[in-house]
Amino acid sequence: MNCEQIAELLPDYLQGSVTIDQAGQVEQHCQLCNNCAQDVAMWNKFALVPRLQPSPESRARFEAMLHAYRTISDERAGSVETARKSGKLKVAWSFFDWFRSPLGAAAWSVALLVIGVLIGARVGIGTKVANVASPSQSEELTAVHSELTNMRQLVALSMLQQQSASERLQGVSWSGREAHLDPQVQSALLHTLRYDTSVDVRLAALDALSRHGSQPQVRQGVVDALQEQQSPLVQVALIDQLAEWRDPGAAQRLRNFQQTPNLNPAVRQRAEWAISKLQ
Amino acid sequence: MLQVRNGEVDMLGLLFDRYQTPLYNFYAKMTQDRVISEDLVQEVFLRILRYRQTYRPGTTFRTWMYQIARNTRIDQVRKTRPETPLVTEPIAPTSLSDSAQHKQEAATLQRALMYLPEDKRELLVLSRFQELKYDEIARLLGCEVGAVKVRIHRALQQLRQVFLQLESGAPATDANGALEDSRPSAVPPGRRLQ
Repeated sequence: MNCEQIAELLPDYLQGSVTIDQAGQVEQHCQLCNNCAQDVAMWNKFALVPRLQPSPESRARFEAMLHAYRTISDERAGSVETARKSGKLKVAWSFFDWFRSPLGAAAWSVALLVIGVLIGARVGIGTKVANVASPSQSEELTAVHSELTNMRQLVALSMLQQQSASERLQGVSWSGREAHLDPQVQSALLHTLRYDTSVDVRLAALDALSRHGSQPQVRQGVVDALQEQQSPLVQVALIDQLAEWRDPGAAQRLRNFQQTPNLNPAVRQRAEWAISKLQ
Repeated sequence: MLQVRNGEVDMLGLLFDRYQTPLYNFYAKMTQDRVISEDLVQEVFLRILRYRQTYRPGTTFRTWMYQIARNTRIDQVRKTRPETPLVTEPIAPTSLSDSAQHKQEAATLQRALMYLPEDKRELLVLSRFQELKYDEIARLLGCEVGAVKVRIHRALQQLRQVFLQLESGAPATDANGALEDSRPSAVPPGRRLQ
């Protein structure tokens, strides 16, 4: 065999994956060929290179890495899990929250009333088929209507007591829906106009009251509220409202108000404009 | 590995115990640097953990691991080549039972390995020290088994030449075939670059 043929066998011979015959052929050739023999010798010299052992810290480093990796992935998994749980809770909570809110309560009341009316109507139809629009029925409907109005007012009142400004705002808008202002709701709105902590709610209350300017108590309440106000925004809105109602009695109050020390110059100017308009 | 892949990351400890020494030796032969080698071993196991989902059942773990090891090494070379030399501190043989001559030969052999181009050195290290079968190497490199055998034989022949040159004190040719005497001094490559 020549060197070329041996070269084909040599790699397998070096890894010990040749047959005994082939190994014999290679060895025979190497006895004659110095070049190939040196290749084999070189390969065997690798055995002299010692096998090294990694330092003992290597394992500790690996453990630390594994621990760190596990902590991070646990945290990630944990956060995903809690996010999922809190998401569920939130949904459940917001449902119950809505259920407990005055709006929810009103919705339920209305729904129950409607069901009641429907059942009543059915029973009515069953007993008095001929007399569809009987006076007693229309009375009933009026009663239901007034009941509904009362309910809405009740809801509005309870909403005005809420902690959250947005719910109070909602309450104000609810109370303003009625054409006729219930005295209770009216006083609640006036109270809100005077003492609510949120400027937005006070402004909304004024807006709700503006539609009932024909009532002297409302006008009086708005004039009274002017003295209590600290916010220039609400002060200006109140002045504008008084000017719009054209209540001559308010002019004197506005003049007094104008004398208040530390008044915002813009508010003072507005008051002057309103007085000139009222006279 | 399948268990690791399916989330039992603690099982990686077993794989680490089995493969950290071969892997460490692979890097030690390739880099001649203990510290870098240990860092690379850690990096490989971190990558195994991170990319465990890419391990396909039915493939040899060892081949897959060496694939990651090679990529890690390539990244490390890319990262360090511009600033620091490839070889910082040649590893001296630690076995005390070796005779002085054997020690000398082993040191020369390791120096000679460092003169080989990276790909040839890698072939010899994988086939001789890591004892990877040629078909495994072929899968790793993505080529034919025949090509692997031819290349290993050539690498061995080149190594022999460099080794003989180093042993006789004659100027050795470096990886690119340039004569070493064209360099300012005839110190080994590791120190030369420092």
